[in-house]
Amino acid sequence: MKSAYIMQKEIRESILTPKGFLWYILTSIILSVLSYLFLTNSELSLLDQGEMLYLIMNFITALGVLIGLVFGADAFAGEMERGTLEALLISPVNKMEIALGKLGAALTNWGIILAISLPYLFVVGKRGQNLFIGIGYLAVLGTLLTIIFSAFSMGLSARIKSMKNSLIISFFLFLLVGSPIFLSTALRMTWFGKFLDLINPFADAINTFDSVVIDSQNFSYQAWRIAIICGYTLLSLWFLKRSVSKLEM
Amino acid sequence: MIINVENLIKSYDGHTALDGLSFSVEEGDIFGFLGPNGAGKTTTIRILTAIIKADSGNVLINGHDVFKEPLAVKKIVNALPESNGYYEWMTAQEYLEFFSNLYDEKQSKQESGKLLVDVGLSGKENHLIRSYSRGMKQRLGIARALINKPKLLFLDEPTNGLDPKGRRDIHDLLITLSRKHGTTILFSTHLLDDVERLCNKIAIINYGKIVRTGELDKMKGQGTIEDMFFLSTKEGAL
Repeated sequence: MKSAYIMQKEIRESILTPKGFLWYILTSIILSVLSYLFLTNSELSLLDQGEMLYLIMNFITALGVLIGLVFGADAFAGEMERGTLEALLISPVNKMEIALGKLGAALTNWGIILAISLPYLFVVGKRGQNLFIGIGYLAVLGTLLTIIFSAFSMGLSARIKSMKNSLIISFFLFLLVGSPIFLSTALRMTWFGKFLDLINPFADAINTFDSVVIDSQNFSYQAWRIAIICGYTLLSLWFLKRSVSKLEM
Repeated sequence: MIINVENLIKSYDGHTALDGLSFSVEEGDIFGFLGPNGAGKTTTIRILTAIIKADSGNVLINGHDVFKEPLAVKKIVNALPESNGYYEWMTAQEYLEFFSNLYDEKQSKQESGKLLVDVGLSGKENHLIRSYSRGMKQRLGIARALINKPKLLFLDEPTNGLDPKGRRDIHDLLITLSRKHGTTILFSTHLLDDVERLCNKIAIINYGKIVRTGELDKMKGQGTIEDMFFLSTKEGAL
């Protein structure tokens, strides 16, 4: 219950502020530009509707994860740097309750990004197949990825106690997990490429989107990837719990 | 005894912050915790408020073991840290409301308004904290520290950086608190004037050890507090 108060505070501090609104306006602008390009640019518009949907889903997921990283990095180190953490720790609130409240705010942010994205997803994917099931997968996997990256970044924030450093490390991790996207198709088909894709939760998510939206494959094809993402979710929550339990001023 | 500390040891990265610290405080005391910068005052307060753990030693707060029952301790104590930050985008009223929720002490607007009157912030409850002066923020911090009606209040250098009027206001507030509510107060400072105005008992800490402790009136008979402080904290005084 106390987590709810922390979450409420975080939402007011980070989301219902001019800074928060700016993020969402930027999200809308970027999505508008992307959608416009997909639908009007002569080369991009040759893409199949499913492929357009798939690309925009990847972008939305990356955006949610990225903002989740910022939330996570700020969680403990930011409060410490602003001198507000000690008063929180003095109160009879379990450290994990504080973390869960902050994680809840990161998930709320993801929910808002997803809500902003819906009209764009409908416009880009309306004539293609698998729109609704694609959105369903986006909602579920985006939520899990937000938990993974926010929890990891939050754990780092509690351990490193420097917002700048935890943000940099988290950002590098994000680049690392995003790197398979830049691998050539040929390389991705090798055992090494397949292995990288397999152990990478972000790649698992986008491969699932590919499989669902473009290849119209059913859940049984996705189960193992989703299982890996769920595994990472549990691992990140465990890391967060360990890090937060060791948090000292 | 509301505080009983025995042989507390705490090290950070090979540096010993507390080196066998022992002292006790009785209920109703205004206890001055004196020492130069880096003597171990803040570390002691953080251990006593269950924010950090000691390497070894025993601490009982009102009979509760601070290491085994941290939540029970946190319910009956509160503290104003040395460099207390504020959610500057909140109003004072919202700030108190937020913390009262964390203490399961759902306060009505009237109650938190009364708390703000008690600390001299009446009429400012709906102003954003970012518009407050340092002294006003410090008083708001004290109001926050009173939100759970603590039996024991820790204040870490509460008058640091305040002008003479601000310091006088804080002194008066603490005296009122102690007399009106019987709150036991332990406050750390290196300002001897604070001690002389407020405390009935003091302990002088240096290099993580108590080097002198006792009732202020009795100690005054042995010389000035200033002399005692410098004698106790000079190099090699241990």
